Amino acid sequence: MIDNKRPDADPATLTGAYALNALTPEQRESFEAGLGDSESLRHEVTELADTAVVLGLAVDPVDPPPALKASIMGLIASTPQLPPLVTRAPSSADASASVTDIASRQETVADARVQNPAPVAAPRETPASRKAQSRWFTKPAIVLAGVAAAVGLIAGGGVLVNTIGDANTQQVQADALAAITSADDSQQAAAAVDGGGTAKLVWSNSLGSSAVMVDGLAALDDGKVYELWYIDGDGARAAGTFTVGDSGATWRVLDGEMRAGDLVGVTVEPAGGSETPTTDPIVAIQSA
Amino acid sequence: MLKLVPRDTDDEERFAPESPLTQDQLLSLVAQGDQAAFAQLYDQMAPRVLGLVRRLLRDHAQSEEVTQEIFLEIWQNATRYDSSKGGASTWIMTMSHRRAVDRVRASQSSRDRDTKIGIRDYDADYDNVSETVQTRIEHERVEKAMQRLTELQRQAVSLAYYGGYSHSEVATLLSVPIGTVKTRLRDGMIRLRDELGVAS
Repeated sequence: MIDNKRPDADPATLTGAYALNALTPEQRESFEAGLGDSESLRHEVTELADTAVVLGLAVDPVDPPPALKASIMGLIASTPQLPPLVTRAPSSADASASVTDIASRQETVADARVQNPAPVAAPRETPASRKAQSRWFTKPAIVLAGVAAAVGLIAGGGVLVNTIGDANTQQVQADALAAITSADDSQQAAAAVDGGGTAKLVWSNSLGSSAVMVDGLAALDDGKVYELWYIDGDGARAAGTFTVGDSGATWRVLDGEMRAGDLVGVTVEPAGGSETPTTDPIVAIQSA
Repeated sequence: MLKLVPRDTDDEERFAPESPLTQDQLLSLVAQGDQAAFAQLYDQMAPRVLGLVRRLLRDHAQSEEVTQEIFLEIWQNATRYDSSKGGASTWIMTMSHRRAVDRVRASQSSRDRDTKIGIRDYDADYDNVSETVQTRIEHERVEKAMQRLTELQRQAVSLAYYGGYSHSEVATLLSVPIGTVKTRLRDGMIRLRDELGVAS
């Protein structure tokens, strides 16, 4: 009650509230600004923030449904990472970064210890374009990077749900997608779909595996499904079916083995799928 | 449903089953764009994150949504994570709590929370809670440390951390002046720090 008279943002009284995220964003900012160069205050804040983490770890874990993992893996596969912060000469402002970063490390002003230098970009890229691109798109093995980069499959951070099969299947699908996208020879290409929408093929020749991500596809009538095909000189091999909900977006890892240079196509087939395509492909993407 | 294995060594299929990587190692791989490492990090941390978020938000669907946002943020910001400033799990849990609090405050009108919910024991009462020996031990440590606080300190800390209330809301809920809440939060956290042996 005595301390009612203190200024609202006196940092010395607010370390606990700050560590517990009990400040409003404005109060938080003014707290961080008010920390100044008090080493002891910073030390206290760091320790209390670590204490708050222990409170968090004491909460009983809840197993997320496998669909959530499938959804997140699909999301990150098409979301660029932020470029690492650029190293700059240490200044007095940098010295103030250590404590506030406990709670907002993603806003960190980089210090001299940036461990992850910017990825090596293709020679033709300008620094600006490099900055704008993700590691995903700057992987040297990726062909048609320009096309792929131009296709934003996820609009406004929406949810890309993998609608394939049961929970177990989704878990397998999510890990398989992760394996493809992280393979050393991971490549991708995108194409427009007849009738609207886009499709992106992500593949790895070394894994002999690929995944298709679609966005903006029309939902089909009951009794029909989209079917995927691996196509080469010998014909088309069925590689699984999928449907899209109202969002028109989904993804799936294809069944069977992909051979280098296969064309990947999508047709509309009767529910359950066909053994050979019965309609013309609405999209076909060439792998390399 | 006490499991005999810690979550870290759960029977998930591993890409390198012979030696599971630590969360710190995984996060540094994620920073290089490694999505397989991200999948492993997710397997290890998602139950923790969802557990915490759901503790604050109560609503399961919303909690999954926020958990998804948190992992997307982890993915995007892993490139900027500085391991010299704390471990991966500290970074993730701190971010998770803040995001959960942000959501609780954003959906203030619809939240179904009251003083009782905020103050009551932080035992979870959910279905599909997965408890491990490790979390049981952590839970008991915190519970024990909480018992060392004064009633007002404990209520204030619980409301703030597990309820997501701001310090002025805590003051209203407990009918004490805001200055008192500030002091109780700080004193309570310092006490917990000492009881839990947290030192930097």
